[in-house]
Amino acid sequence: MLLLKLAFRNILRQRRRTILTVLSMTGGYVLCCLSFSLTDGSYKNVIRIFTMDHTGHIQIHRDDYLQRPKVFKGIDDTPEQRQQIHSQPGVQSIAPRVFTPALAYAGTRNTPVQIVGVDPALEKTTSRLFDKVTQGQYFDATLNADGYYSAMLGIGVAESLRINIGDELILISQGADGSIANDIYIVTAIVGTRNSWDRNKVYLPLSVAQEFLSFYGKVHQYSLLLEDENAVGRITQSLATALPTLTVNPWMQVEATFYNSMEADKRGNRFTLLIIVFIVFIGVLNTVLMSVLERTREFGVLKAIGSRPATIAGLILIETMMLASMSLLVGVVIAAPIIAWFALRGIALPDPIDMGGIEFGFMTGEFSVGVFAWPMLLIMAFAIVVSIPPGIRAARVSPTRAMGSF
Amino acid sequence: MNLTLHFALLILTVTFAGLCHADLNSKTASAERAKALIDDMEALYRGDISKALITMQVVTPQYQRSMEMESLNQGRDNAFIRILSPKKDRGIATLKLDQEMWNYFPKINKVIKVPPSMMMGSWMGSDFTNDDLVKQTTLTEEYDLALVETVDHYTITLTPQTHTVTVWGKIDYVIDKTQLVPISQQFYDDNDVMVRQLNFTELRDYSGRLLPSRLEMIPLNKPGHKTLVIYESLDFEPVDISDSDFTLRNLQSRF
Repeated sequence: MLLLKLAFRNILRQRRRTILTVLSMTGGYVLCCLSFSLTDGSYKNVIRIFTMDHTGHIQIHRDDYLQRPKVFKGIDDTPEQRQQIHSQPGVQSIAPRVFTPALAYAGTRNTPVQIVGVDPALEKTTSRLFDKVTQGQYFDATLNADGYYSAMLGIGVAESLRINIGDELILISQGADGSIANDIYIVTAIVGTRNSWDRNKVYLPLSVAQEFLSFYGKVHQYSLLLEDENAVGRITQSLATALPTLTVNPWMQVEATFYNSMEADKRGNRFTLLIIVFIVFIGVLNTVLMSVLERTREFGVLKAIGSRPATIAGLILIETMMLASMSLLVGVVIAAPIIAWFALRGIALPDPIDMGGIEFGFMTGEFSVGVFAWPMLLIMAFAIVVSIPPGIRAARVSPTRAMGSF
Repeated sequence: MNLTLHFALLILTVTFAGLCHADLNSKTASAERAKALIDDMEALYRGDISKALITMQVVTPQYQRSMEMESLNQGRDNAFIRILSPKKDRGIATLKLDQEMWNYFPKINKVIKVPPSMMMGSWMGSDFTNDDLVKQTTLTEEYDLALVETVDHYTITLTPQTHTVTVWGKIDYVIDKTQLVPISQQFYDDNDVMVRQLNFTELRDYSGRLLPSRLEMIPLNKPGHKTLVIYESLDFEPVDISDSDFTLRNLQSRF
């Protein structure tokens, strides 16, 4: 207690210097918080966009379908199977899907496409496909009056085939049993934009796609949305144990390229912050060292009346920690409203950034405990490190020499 | 002395030339024989005109599929194949005229020409390539032939000529000497590794001709895959075949 009182009095002795030091640390802290908030926030935004767009939080395949998609690698799609997955705690929705590359014809034109068979009702609950319909009507799995099933096209397919709503689309592919899959469909909707993931996709209702591919009762993928996106790791684990015959991948593995570059970017970002904080703390070191040198005589007296070296080093540590705490207090007061604004409004980007076909126009921040806590720990850690050299110096002071000097 | 040497040399040269000539002669003769044999083999199933009912079974580790089809042949150049079952594939047809090939899909009412780049691609998901259907006839024209006789078999080794466009480095064609029917064909790649084998088994009498009724294509680089072709019937004097069967118009006709 005495030590605290002593430390408090000491830092108040040179008020101007204290304030300046506190301010420089505050600056470092606020900068860290903002940077954390913006990177985490904008990445979280991107992740939310593509997980909701088509990836889902968790994907389930058979064997190595994710790495080597072969049309015959299917999951037996039974109601029990779906129920078993859906009933896992934390799973919000499930969408079965079928994929295959195909050649699309219309009139004299043709183009390679990717067929995606989706359950019209379940897909609505898991991805934003329904919201991405820009023209026409979201499809269902019923025959139209002329006896054709409907298909939805990505804008790229519609443009290269020069077809529109109501036109015929011919698809040719290889079925899961090696036969030639071929059929005619009627375009009922155009989905997505020129940059979106769907630009070369053709969506068919699940049952129609299964019939097209002779892939009855099977699907290639279950895409899952979770109630809590942060629980991905845990739920992946529990699903993997519940489904030993299938392969369960979190979005981090499905979108491994994105995830790895995101992690690399974050690491690079943190390293830059580390350097900035380091520079701030060179200034802090200077301050602490100064105050120690000024007080050599006082430390000599303290030693002479029986203070242990550890006590004196502790005194320096407490002083630095007090400075750091004050700056953190000020820092939180300054950073909190700014970050709140970032999280709620965000910075409008003059040109929306296109990340793998996903556009985002606002750079929004993240408002969470982590955003404030991690920089806090960083500052505290640096404060401790920085108080070591002056502390040692003060502790080693010899009373006779200290009191002899002036 | 000079003259003697000269004379001796002359004799040597002449003898050597003669030897070479004799060797060349026997080589040509064996090549001729080989060519005749292969031509006979290739003609066996075709005749001048023929009509066959074929069952094709495609076996892979993942699935098994059986198709019934009708195959019409006219000489060595023209062929017409139409799938009769399963229902899903019924009516899918292939027309081959000389070196060109088209597939017709009735469901989408579309004729698609098989481009040269797809010639080594699978025909209807089987282990036979489009090329197998088109190019077989020209084996004797585009390959150098070497004949080896054993007690029971003729083995003809076909090596592609320099201008031949093919993926095979060598083909061994084994023929039964007594029955004069093919027994097997082995296909090798450029590194002399056998990549697929075609076996002919189960001799059956088709209106007076004894022929292997079962063809088994085994791609050795794809374990678990094979395609069986079974000739259910083979008619060498069909009455209902005419030139008009081998036209693009007929390819698209409903049936």
